[in-house]
Amino acid sequence: MTEKRKTYQITRRGFVAGSAAAAGIVGFPGVLRAQAAPVKIGLVHPVTGFLQFNGTQCRFGAVEAIKEINASGGIKSLGGAQLEAVLGDAQSKPEIGASEVEKFNEAGVSCIVGAYASGISMSTTQVAAKYGIPHVVDVGVTDKIVERGLDNVFRFGPGYGVITKVGVERFIAMNDAAGKPVKSIMIVHEDSTPFGGGTAALLEEGLTAAGFSVTKVGHPTPHRDFSNIVLQIKSANPDVVIPSSYPNEYELLVRTMQQQRVQPKGIYSVLGGSGSSYKFLAEYPEACQYIMDCNHWYNPKSAGAMALRKISEAAGVHFTYEVFLAYSAVKLVADAMEQAASADRKKIIDALAASNWSDHIMPYGPTKFVNGQNQGAQPLNLQYQGQEIEVIAPADYATSKAVFPRPA
Amino acid sequence: MRAGQRTAVALGALAAMLAMPLVVTSGFWMDFLILTLFVGVLGQGWNILGGYGGQLSFGHAVFFGTGAYVQAILQTQYGWNPWLAITPAVLAGVLVGAFIGYLSFRYGLRGSYFALITLAFAEAFRVLATSIEITEGGQGIYLRLNRDPDQAITMLQFASGVGYYYMILALTVVALLVAWWIEHSRFGAQLMAVRENEDAAEALGIDAFAVKMRAICISAALTASAGVFYVQKFLLMDPFIAFGPGKSVEALVAPIIGGMGTIFGPLLGSIVLHGVGELTKALTAAAGIDHPGLDLVIYGILLVLMLAFLPSGLMGLLRRRARPARSAEHA
Repeated sequence: MTEKRKTYQITRRGFVAGSAAAAGIVGFPGVLRAQAAPVKIGLVHPVTGFLQFNGTQCRFGAVEAIKEINASGGIKSLGGAQLEAVLGDAQSKPEIGASEVEKFNEAGVSCIVGAYASGISMSTTQVAAKYGIPHVVDVGVTDKIVERGLDNVFRFGPGYGVITKVGVERFIAMNDAAGKPVKSIMIVHEDSTPFGGGTAALLEEGLTAAGFSVTKVGHPTPHRDFSNIVLQIKSANPDVVIPSSYPNEYELLVRTMQQQRVQPKGIYSVLGGSGSSYKFLAEYPEACQYIMDCNHWYNPKSAGAMALRKISEAAGVHFTYEVFLAYSAVKLVADAMEQAASADRKKIIDALAASNWSDHIMPYGPTKFVNGQNQGAQPLNLQYQGQEIEVIAPADYATSKAVFPRPA
Repeated sequence: MRAGQRTAVALGALAAMLAMPLVVTSGFWMDFLILTLFVGVLGQGWNILGGYGGQLSFGHAVFFGTGAYVQAILQTQYGWNPWLAITPAVLAGVLVGAFIGYLSFRYGLRGSYFALITLAFAEAFRVLATSIEITEGGQGIYLRLNRDPDQAITMLQFASGVGYYYMILALTVVALLVAWWIEHSRFGAQLMAVRENEDAAEALGIDAFAVKMRAICISAALTASAGVFYVQKFLLMDPFIAFGPGKSVEALVAPIIGGMGTIFGPLLGSIVLHGVGELTKALTAAAGIDHPGLDLVIYGILLVLMLAFLPSGLMGLLRRRARPARSAEHA
């Protein structure tokens, strides 16, 4: 009986096939790894409390940006990592905003976007600084947000200083172009939060220095009856009224002026709550006609902006500045992550500091941060004309010419 | 429970609170504790006047805001060290308390009239704070952030929550001691007599005006110290935070829930308020409900139920439960 011994020889073909199979097996988890871990972004806004409308608008814009980024393949330099929103409600209070950031830190967020109001943003950025979390402020306009030397804080949009300076300069230019019909101005401002009082003070300073006679009258937020204030306007008979209030009060003031037939040569606001609001235009198209506003606004020539506007309108959400600023802030963060190729907080901060992002929907040009403030950020001047809000200045972005003084 | 046992329990509770940062390592829960104690101090300030004195105030924010503003202004505009600013800040609160108290009590304002005048003063102070330069108007005051850890104690600004926790814990202990003193002192007995029946108290020879003046000054001092803490913790103050209705409501809800005119009522109320708030948030989050404000609705319903079924607050419930047991012991 002969014994046939089996021999195992490794042929070249067999070796290659085996290696390929082994590589396939070893590499399989790598394929799984391609589904990179999601990157968490904390979104903190006042979605309840007296700033609920603004906070909800911000949240819509930010979440929309995340949806869009994820739908287009996530953060590509991170293997297509999806962004995951961690939502926080500041309840319109700085201390609750700070608590939400503590939660975000424990949830392991890589970055924070928020927090609409200046006071809330001051406290959220401070807590974020404690943990080295990059924090992009979407709306908060007080310049103190970026004046504290916190290297984790960035603001994509313009602050009070720039907006009021530009607002005053453009007002003077428009008045000069119209033959200087304005001599007296009355500022009607809310005085419950830093926003109204702060804006009013800066406007008063700039306009008084330019030789206008300026008077101020304050009101609380919320405020439900503007009869007395409109009587004061009637009595003072200013050439121009500047409202500096949140949307509800802004609209009520303008409607009360319309009811009492108080029609100055113009209503011109800087950061006016409803000075450039599609909601106001839809609800009270007659009352808002020819009101001018110097405010945050999207680039009207940007296809991305128009697409976002369509999405907002389809969702039944008015396309307010909160929507496109929060949307842009999230997109800025995503670009920084893309550049950093990392979800590491420190690397995102470095990428934001060096950012020159230009593929955005705002009229700012490429980003350039100095002490956390985007240097190219600027407001646009707008006017309700017919069924549209037209950009009337600067010329580069203008879609129409200013109608001033307003027709009787 | 005998006095010795009570002291032992109190010391044990204090030791537990002192050791809390060793157990609570989460920044969020540390913040939760800080805010809970903060509202507890705010509530104790209200409790001295409203709970023990029966003078219900709707505008305690006026004391909170005064303390906070003085603390902020002295640092930002006069360069004072925060430690030095504390005494003038608390004294300013006392002065405002004395002023409002003198005007109200001198002219016999009681009940809802007193409540309304405190509300009016808070509103007047809010308007004033938005109008004058020293408070930086409506823009508010922002304190410079200290980033040097070596200066944390000097500048009374801490990088972690632990420093703030001990700061507010110290204030809480002071507030509890003041309430304890009121319950056990002659002044406290007079104050409670005025609460029960002012005319009868006066007939017994108690100077109701002087008693109420002392009570409002102590109450204002505690509330102003809460304002000092707020400024050091959040480094900002504006007219709405300082004198808006929010802080006045927080100050009165905690003792009403916990038990007015009791030592631990305000603190217990604050624990429950914050605990219920976080619980409702957690429940709505766990249920996957993304509806902002739903947690606040549930929270509101719970508060209404508690007020409806516990008119004497949680301390009243605890006392009711303890009473039958004590009666059984004596039987």
